[in-house]
Amino acid sequence: MTMNTGEQPLTEYLFSLYGAQIRYVTASSWLAAPVNEFLRYFRQEVLCPSSPLTLYFHAVEHRVDIPVTISSSARQLAANVGVPGSDCPETDLPYEVMLDGERLIADFFNVGVLVVDSVQRRADGYLINPQTMPESLIEYLFHLALTELLRRRGLYTIHATALEKNGRGVLIPGNSGRGKTTSFISLLRSGYRYLSDDHPLLRDAGTYVDLLPFPIKINVTEQTVEFFPELRTAPARVLQPRFPKRAFYPEDIYPTSIGECCSPALVLFPHVIDAPHSHLELLPKSRALEMLLPQALLVYDAEVAKREFQVLVKLVQQVDCYRLHFGRDILELPQLITPLLEEGM
Amino acid sequence: MPDISQAFSAPTAVSQLDSALLHQITLMGNPDVQATNMDGETVLLDLSTGRYYTLNRLGSLIWELCTGKHTIGDIHAVLCSRFDVVPDRALSDLVTLIDQLIKEGLLQQERR
Repeated sequence: MTMNTGEQPLTEYLFSLYGAQIRYVTASSWLAAPVNEFLRYFRQEVLCPSSPLTLYFHAVEHRVDIPVTISSSARQLAANVGVPGSDCPETDLPYEVMLDGERLIADFFNVGVLVVDSVQRRADGYLINPQTMPESLIEYLFHLALTELLRRRGLYTIHATALEKNGRGVLIPGNSGRGKTTSFISLLRSGYRYLSDDHPLLRDAGTYVDLLPFPIKINVTEQTVEFFPELRTAPARVLQPRFPKRAFYPEDIYPTSIGECCSPALVLFPHVIDAPHSHLELLPKSRALEMLLPQALLVYDAEVAKREFQVLVKLVQQVDCYRLHFGRDILELPQLITPLLEEGM
Repeated sequence: MPDISQAFSAPTAVSQLDSALLHQITLMGNPDVQATNMDGETVLLDLSTGRYYTLNRLGSLIWELCTGKHTIGDIHAVLCSRFDVVPDRALSDLVTLIDQLIKEGLLQQERR
């Protein structure tokens, strides 16, 4: 039986991210749509005449169709056995990451393979039957490849939500379940501007670090929806199902615009407490850096990791870092955070 | 080259250490390790493994002295001059930390 992998003529899509020109090439409609949606704020009609980063994504029917060979000298860098039945199917996939010469190979077994060639400034993704995958998975794999290429261009992704108010940025890093998205929405609905729900970028600007928007859909759990009246009553066309969560564009619900490149001022590490009121605890910078490292740094290339480490050090030196003990006063969070932002102005 | 982690492996043997050895072995950070001092504590990132570590204030001072120029004896003398500590206890703690840092691949040793 032949599966429909959505083959169409090879098509090129162009994007520009803060000086990095991106070419995305695919012959599969299943692979084109999620990526175009994901990078919709960065679309370009033409690219500037500079060397672009190129990502080719290919739909294949069977694992044996993936034309990637790995040499015997390849070195394993990381591996994960996966978490069956996880509520976060993308990030809990089983994988093995290998370094083979200049190629970084991420093998996701029955899902596909990513190959990032830093010298060629090119990434290839081979996805097995993408028509059966949730769009969020395709987006996740594309983002992984893009992140690796961008790191080599001095643009570093951090696993955090991010907002901006009056030119000052707030980063809320952390794993799911710690109140990251809930605290983020609480600030967003009070007039903070949106930067990103999980993929803001950091750029080394010499003695300081810039925080750059990477606007994507906001993913929320049903539990988070229940905290906010405007989400509870949002129509299904706005708050769309996106297994296992739901997702919306901030501009469809909040009268906020997309924030601009700004100077990060605060980093909040939330965790939920069973108490009526939230409070903040100032963190020593060494502890803050220690907590940020797992949210940002993957050491695949020592030189790139060294630069990224220095960017994270600058970030921590530039901002105040707090542990946010996040109580039940969810809607009042801006009253706790905004004075801190205004203090430094 | 003597293996310091073996030479100093037994905690009860601190008082029996070969004092000559203390003044022959110099220590320096592995070049693959990035280090930054923040508020007196040091965060280390080992680029060869991706692991990171935090040293407290005392550990940070010891790390700063591991430049390849100071022997273990020199470092011990600095600790005794800066802190109100029993010399044997300071040596025991110093050796324990050095032992761990070497085992983690963060420090390199050289015999003069």
